[in-house]
Amino acid sequence: MQSTLARMGPEKNASRTVPSPGSLSDGLQAAATVAISLMLVGLGLAIATNSLSGSSALLGTIKSRLFSPLLAAAWLDLGFDTRLTYGLPDDADHELEVTSRDSPEAEPLSFPGVRRGEQAARWRRLARAIAMGEADGDGSVVAAGVGRGGFDDLGVEDVVVRVLRQPLPARTGAADTGVAEQVYDARVRLVGGELQLIKDEAKSELAPLVKPPTPRDAEAAP
Amino acid sequence: MTSRPVDDPSSETAGIGETWTRFWFAPADARPLAVVRILAAALGLLLLWSYAGDLKAWFGPGGMIPQDVAAEWRPRFGFSLFDQATSAAALQILFVATVVAFVALFLGIGSRIAALVSAVLWASLLHRGPMLVGPADDCLAVLLWCLAVGPCGRALSIDRCLTERAGGRPLPASAWARVSLGLLQVYASAITVAAVLAQLRGDTWWDGTAAWWLAVRASRVVDLTPLYAGSEYLMNLVTHAIVAFEILFSLGLWFSATQRTIARIGLVAWPLVGILAGEPLWGVAMAIFAVPLAEVWQSGTSRHVQPE
Repeated sequence: MQSTLARMGPEKNASRTVPSPGSLSDGLQAAATVAISLMLVGLGLAIATNSLSGSSALLGTIKSRLFSPLLAAAWLDLGFDTRLTYGLPDDADHELEVTSRDSPEAEPLSFPGVRRGEQAARWRRLARAIAMGEADGDGSVVAAGVGRGGFDDLGVEDVVVRVLRQPLPARTGAADTGVAEQVYDARVRLVGGELQLIKDEAKSELAPLVKPPTPRDAEAAP
Repeated sequence: MTSRPVDDPSSETAGIGETWTRFWFAPADARPLAVVRILAAALGLLLLWSYAGDLKAWFGPGGMIPQDVAAEWRPRFGFSLFDQATSAAALQILFVATVVAFVALFLGIGSRIAALVSAVLWASLLHRGPMLVGPADDCLAVLLWCLAVGPCGRALSIDRCLTERAGGRPLPASAWARVSLGLLQVYASAITVAAVLAQLRGDTWWDGTAAWWLAVRASRVVDLTPLYAGSEYLMNLVTHAIVAFEILFSLGLWFSATQRTIARIGLVAWPLVGILAGEPLWGVAMAIFAVPLAEVWQSGTSRHVQPE
């Protein structure tokens, strides 16, 4: 760092004498030093506690008590852990589909549909949020909102929200079938002014009944 | 450094103090900050454009992301001014106000206030729909807060034109510009380190297949799958080159011998990485962080404006 700073400008001891124009007074410099130090600690904590691997309770508590009010409000409580891809299904593109349950033949609302660029990417993130948040219930909260938002456009109060995942074909695997996989399916309806979400569990997620083979099974086997 | 007694801890402390003071407070040219301001504002307008078409569908009355849903996703202490927009008209007005703030930032009208207002409104917009946010949005938030610290409108701005017309003084150096540029440098390095650490937790970045998985996504910007299918080495090379570049960038910014070169490489490499990753605006945002250190607009001898 020092070598970098060497060409940044004025005399080494300029800060110790009368401040030159453009410089900060000693008091202001001291206050700024404290603020910058706190910012650096906050940045370190934000990265450490927003990691995909999780964080320690100690760091999480320090951050939430001392830094979160400012960092979170300013949208700076970020981990910046842009992994780009791990080659997992989660990293594939997700799409959103809202259809009328009363008239399935009606044209469904598809997102991102024909949208392109960053606008399409936002819809894909919304669809992914539903699929990924399914385990902790956050996904269903978003799905309920999406379903409610589809009521007006479809002119009904009973819709099905689906999240489809585009396949990620392996380099040496079978050819891409191009068929999207359905990873979330829920019915959202308004009954007596109350919003209801009924999730359709995927069959693949139901555990098959498995029992250990008996000697009779072994005898019966060819 | 060599003339300092090695067994005198006070001199070492003084050395650290001097280094700190020079890095953060030595008055610096505000022009690099002005370039960052223009580029960040342009990026912000592009990202706002991506909200504009579906603003009502997401955040409007009866929209797909109601306030209560956004509030559940929001971090504690997060808040959004857009929560106050409970009608379609109010939502439009607030969004237009955000666009106006970014235009003012781009042109350099009331630049510092424009940067502050843009940062607040941008954070509010992101808090209104946290599940829509991508890495470019995060980087823009950082850029805006860094700009709000320094005199980002002191050059290349309408503010500057008005000052000159009124017989203003020549462009002075500023300690706050240095603070702002220092923050940009710290964040550029930190964001890159965090990204590399995240990537290296996955096998794909070690076995050289990450480039393939990025390329086969339907949302890819360019289709390189035929090339990768034909050459495993090329796929490996691209994967490892991305990681190597990110490591070099995060470290190289801190050494005077490599700083300018690595920053100039970053101006080209970050957008390329963004395109390969299917996040082109993230690549652009990262390149903006590299702009002040690349010094592409300065001649070799007059890099720094001296204090008045």
